[in-house]
Amino acid sequence: MLSRLVLVSGPVLKNSGSFGACVVQASRSLQTSHQNQAPLPPLPEKGGQVRHGIIPEELFTMLYPKTGVTGPYMLGTGLLLYMLSKEIYVVNHETFAAASIGAVIIYGVKKFGPDVAAFADKLNEEKVAKAQEVKDLATTNLALAIEDEKKEQWRVEGRQMLFDAKRNNVAVLLETNRRERLHMVTNEVKKRLDYQIALQQLHVRMEQEHMVNWVEKSVINSITPQQEKESIAKCISDLKMLAKATQAKANV
Amino acid sequence: MAGRRAALKAIDWLAFAERVPPNQRAMFNALKTRSDAIGAKLTSLPEKPVVIDWAYYKSAVAKAGMVDDFEKKFSALTIPEAADTVTAKIDAQEQESNKQALEYVQASKARIAHYQTELEKFNNMIPFDQMTIDDLNHTFPETKLDKEKYPYWPHKPIAEL
Repeated sequence: MLSRLVLVSGPVLKNSGSFGACVVQASRSLQTSHQNQAPLPPLPEKGGQVRHGIIPEELFTMLYPKTGVTGPYMLGTGLLLYMLSKEIYVVNHETFAAASIGAVIIYGVKKFGPDVAAFADKLNEEKVAKAQEVKDLATTNLALAIEDEKKEQWRVEGRQMLFDAKRNNVAVLLETNRRERLHMVTNEVKKRLDYQIALQQLHVRMEQEHMVNWVEKSVINSITPQQEKESIAKCISDLKMLAKATQAKANV
Repeated sequence: MAGRRAALKAIDWLAFAERVPPNQRAMFNALKTRSDAIGAKLTSLPEKPVVIDWAYYKSAVAKAGMVDDFEKKFSALTIPEAADTVTAKIDAQEQESNKQALEYVQASKARIAHYQTELEKFNNMIPFDQMTIDDLNHTFPETKLDKEKYPYWPHKPIAEL
C-alpha cells in the first residue's frame, strides 16, 4: 500500500530534508547538482516509531546503553522541572489554553484516528485498484490485439486462392463457350442436311400424289357415255340377280 | 485442349473459407455460388458434339456432291475460340493485391511492434504499491497535473474530479 505519509503529508515530507529517523523518499527535484538516476528504494509502510505520540523511539534506544530503561524519562522530568523552577518557561493563562487544546486534540485523535486512517487507506486502495484494473485491461487488450494482427496476416496469405478461383472460372467459361460453339456448328450442318432430305422426300411424295390424281382423272375422263350406260345397265341386272338370289335364300 | 484441362486447379473451398475475414464473407459466398453455377453449366454440356453420319447422308441426299462438299468443309472447319481478355486483368489484380498485401503486412508488423512495446512497458512497470506520484506521472503521462493551465488546486477542471 502506498504509505499514509505519502497521501497526507507527502508534499511536506518532500520539501523537508531528512526528518530525524524517517528515510528520505523525496523526489530529487531540489537537488541541482548531478543526480544519479538509480531507482529509489521503496517507501516504508509505517512512519518512524514514536513513544507517547511525539518522542521518537531512537532517543530511547540511544540512551538505553548508558541509562537503561528509565533514562529518557528521568531526562524529561529533570528538564521539565528545571524549566519550571528556573522560570525559563513561565506558567501563565496561555499554559491553561494549551493544556485544554492539547487535551481536546489528544482525545479527538485517540477516538477518531483509526477511522480516519482506515478511510484514507480505503481511498488509496481504490486508486490503486483502479490503476491495477486499467493495467490489466490494457495488457489483455494488447495481447488480443497482437493475436488478431497475427491472424490477419495469416488471412492475407490466403489471397492466392481468390485468384486461382477467378482463373478457374475464366477457364471454365471459355471451355463452355467452345463446346457450345462446337455443338452449334454440328447442329446447323445436321439441320441443313436434314432439310435437304426432307425436301427430297417432300418432292417424291408430291410427285406420287400428283401422278395418282392424274391417273384417276384420266381414267374418269376416258369413261365415254356409251360405256357408262352399259355399265349402269349391267349393274342393274346384277343387282336384280342378287336380289332374286337373296330372296330365294330367304324363302328357303 | 489438354492444356486447358490442366489449368483447372483444384480449389479447397474449405481452407479458402477459413481465410476469409468476416466482413468479406458475403462476397466470398457470391463467388462460391457463381463458381458452382459455372461448373454445373460446364458439366451439363457433353464434351464431344454429336457425330454426323456421313454415309447415311451420302446415300440419302440426291443432290450430287452436296454431302461430299459439306463433309469436306466440315472436317476442314476450325472453330475460332473466344479470346481470353480477362486473364491479363486478373494477373494485374493479383499484382496489385500482392503489393497491397505487402503494405498491409508491413503496417500490421509495425502495429504489432507498437503493441509489443506497450506490453513491455506494462509488464516492466514498478508495482503500484511502490510508485510515487512522480513515477505515476512518468508511466502514465495523462495523470500529470497541468499546473500552468490550472494554477490553483485541484489543477484540473472540477468536472473531472
